Amino acid sequence: MTHTLIRSNRSASDSTDPIAVDRRTTLLWLATAMAAAAPLAACGESKSGFIWPVPQPITGKGYGKDPTLLEPTVPWPLTLTRAELVACGALCDLILPAEPNAPAASAVGVPAFINEWVSAPYPDQQEHRGVIVPGLAWLDDEAKKRSGAEFAHISPANQKAIADDIAFKEKVKPGMEKPAAFFARMRALTMGAYYTTPEGWRQIGYPGNHPGSGPYPGPTPEALDHIKGVIERMGLKFAPL
Amino acid sequence: MVDKADGPFDAVVVGSGAGGGMAAYVLTKAGASVLMLEAGRDYNPDEAPMLSLSHDAPLRGTGTPDKPFGYYDATIDGGWDIPDEPYSAAEGSKFMWWRTRMLGGRTNHWARNSFRMGPYDFKPHTRDGLGVDWPVSYQEMAPWYDKTEKLVGVYGAHFGLENHPTASPGVLHDPPKFRVPEIFVKAGGDALGIPVIPGRRAVLTRDMDTRQACYWASPCGRGCGIGAAFQTTTSLIPWAKKTGKLTVQTGAMVYEVMLDDKGKASGVRYIDKASGAHREAKGRVVILAASTGETARILLNSKPNGRSEGLANSSGQVGRNLMDTVGSGLTAYFPALEGRPIYNEDGAGGLHAYIPFWDYKAVAAGKYNFARGYHMEIGGGFGEPGIGGYGGYDGYGSDLRAEVKQRYGARFGFTQRGEMIPNANCFTEIDGDKKDKFGIPTLKFHWKWSDHELNQVTHFQNAVKEMVDKLGGRLLSEPQKPVDAISTGGEIIHEVGTARMGASAKDSVTNAFNKTWDVDNLYLTDGSVFASKAHKNPTITILTLSMRASEHIAARLRTGEL
Repeated sequence: MTHTLIRSNRSASDSTDPIAVDRRTTLLWLATAMAAAAPLAACGESKSGFIWPVPQPITGKGYGKDPTLLEPTVPWPLTLTRAELVACGALCDLILPAEPNAPAASAVGVPAFINEWVSAPYPDQQEHRGVIVPGLAWLDDEAKKRSGAEFAHISPANQKAIADDIAFKEKVKPGMEKPAAFFARMRALTMGAYYTTPEGWRQIGYPGNHPGSGPYPGPTPEALDHIKGVIERMGLKFAPL
Repeated sequence: MVDKADGPFDAVVVGSGAGGGMAAYVLTKAGASVLMLEAGRDYNPDEAPMLSLSHDAPLRGTGTPDKPFGYYDATIDGGWDIPDEPYSAAEGSKFMWWRTRMLGGRTNHWARNSFRMGPYDFKPHTRDGLGVDWPVSYQEMAPWYDKTEKLVGVYGAHFGLENHPTASPGVLHDPPKFRVPEIFVKAGGDALGIPVIPGRRAVLTRDMDTRQACYWASPCGRGCGIGAAFQTTTSLIPWAKKTGKLTVQTGAMVYEVMLDDKGKASGVRYIDKASGAHREAKGRVVILAASTGETARILLNSKPNGRSEGLANSSGQVGRNLMDTVGSGLTAYFPALEGRPIYNEDGAGGLHAYIPFWDYKAVAAGKYNFARGYHMEIGGGFGEPGIGGYGGYDGYGSDLRAEVKQRYGARFGFTQRGEMIPNANCFTEIDGDKKDKFGIPTLKFHWKWSDHELNQVTHFQNAVKEMVDKLGGRLLSEPQKPVDAISTGGEIIHEVGTARMGASAKDSVTNAFNKTWDVDNLYLTDGSVFASKAHKNPTITILTLSMRASEHIAARLRTGEL
């Protein structure tokens, strides 16, 4: 396998494949051929008869203790298979779908980022890999059992039917605890990946990272007025320094 | 074994952080020639990724074992674990030993919190009979704090609070205004008698000398290329270089102090990491500022005339009295802050407000089952969205999007930073025959918090609960038992005390001017000399003690005494 560093606004694997495209323009990725379907060791059986697989561990190297900060590089190979990426993209978009003023998770590169995450050689990411990679296999298996096709290719209503069994902490379908843990992990990661993009900043309203000059301006008059009301309605004294 | 000698210089300074940077600055300004030895590589904050997007970093910049404080953190070749430089903890002990292998050391990434120690902090034993007193008083230190803060640049304001001393007029920079959540928490504090006052940080809010005022963006931990957030690599070291009197040798891993036949220090031996060669550097005075652990290690590994206890250790106190700050934290959610008007709350990238310890009278009256205080570092608001923190959500789709917006800016964190009392269970020593990659014997740490620290955690937790209740908020997770909530020794990276200063050679390693009792021209100017570990972050006191000691050294060099 040849490894070359590429700018990540091109795909890590195939420039025409939207699901694998990351949107970052400065980050360097180690490009490899799309990972082949890695053998998954079987481990444990869920109620539905699905064998919950154990993914291959990552053996690559991290970025080390003195990476070039002004030119960030992801030095580890990406490992999700095409099928895993497709399932990942469909689930990310169920978690954060497109809305009139908001792009879907896959439109801002979230699935590609999750590939970067689960392929990283660090302990936290490896732990998540152990939940996410088998979870993606479960997701397709479950979709096939219920609706006869992989998760990405069943109807939105059928996708939601699966999600509704695992997405709400208080209403997890008995026996589906493992898929529910997978969903929770995917939701947290999808949200983190999404809201750290420039588009995510816009969605949430983060206005910072802009250098100014002179003294720090502090709260706007509108923000001050608002908190004054909040504090006084609580019966407390508004006394900013 | 040794293939090259450097020098002689007037002074050999080991370390380039707060203690070493200040020594090099003061001595070169006084006309002395100085060799600074730094174990890590050269560094200049032009490398700092000040405005880079987390989005563009691997894993969105999240912390990893390679970079514990995140991809963009300024720390180079550092962390609690460094390849080839092992250490150990005794059975039943946990200790995390932070090292930073770069010019400027930890000053490149520290939080810049700069609270002066006060009268109680220098005489803790007199106050409560525990630990030991410092051989200096606050009154003696006050003018040195003024001088140091004036040079460093510290923002803050004064409120005349008990044991939280005032700087002289004109010393401090104006603090940045409170942000909305800080105003909100202050309202709760006012109602409860808990002070919420401007933080004190080594961040410029007006241009000064070669440095620029804070521009209200970029986390300070990334390093500050404009020089607003203090680090020796934008200030003391370049200023010392400008005198033409400073020589900096990076990649120099010092392992022992050499003595001459009169028992005076003649220099140090180090390994040039690039070549592996052993070298000597000679000077009229030797100043160790290698960090608390590393300074103790150098002393314990220096065995002139086969003295097994190491150098400057006739008191047996080298390696003893290891302390760190007591750390714990709680995060709260305030529905009252939901949906408030958005504006830029980045500010100075750290504390605009903090809660100094307020309960000294109750402690003195014996009302509590702990003897020393803490402060709270507080913060939250419209920060940059991070990759983490989404574990508390449920469901998916539009509702999820709406909830993210609703919660934005309504979370606020309270962090305990407390005083630890030195105890016999916390110390470091050489770990038998174990050696690092360079062949230097390694350290073994022993650690156990006492009830004073654990009970202090309970007080903090109760105070936060009271504050959160008053403001109609809820804790995002219930407080853990103190033994689980408290930080691991070394985790707060405020370790000090392994070569404490004192009034007598019998039970301390240095005198009040950081001079070792046993070797007349050997000085220690880092946190190792701390006789106690006040709840106040140690760096500004390290800088101040180093300035005072270095003026003392300069005077002795001038008179030919050294």
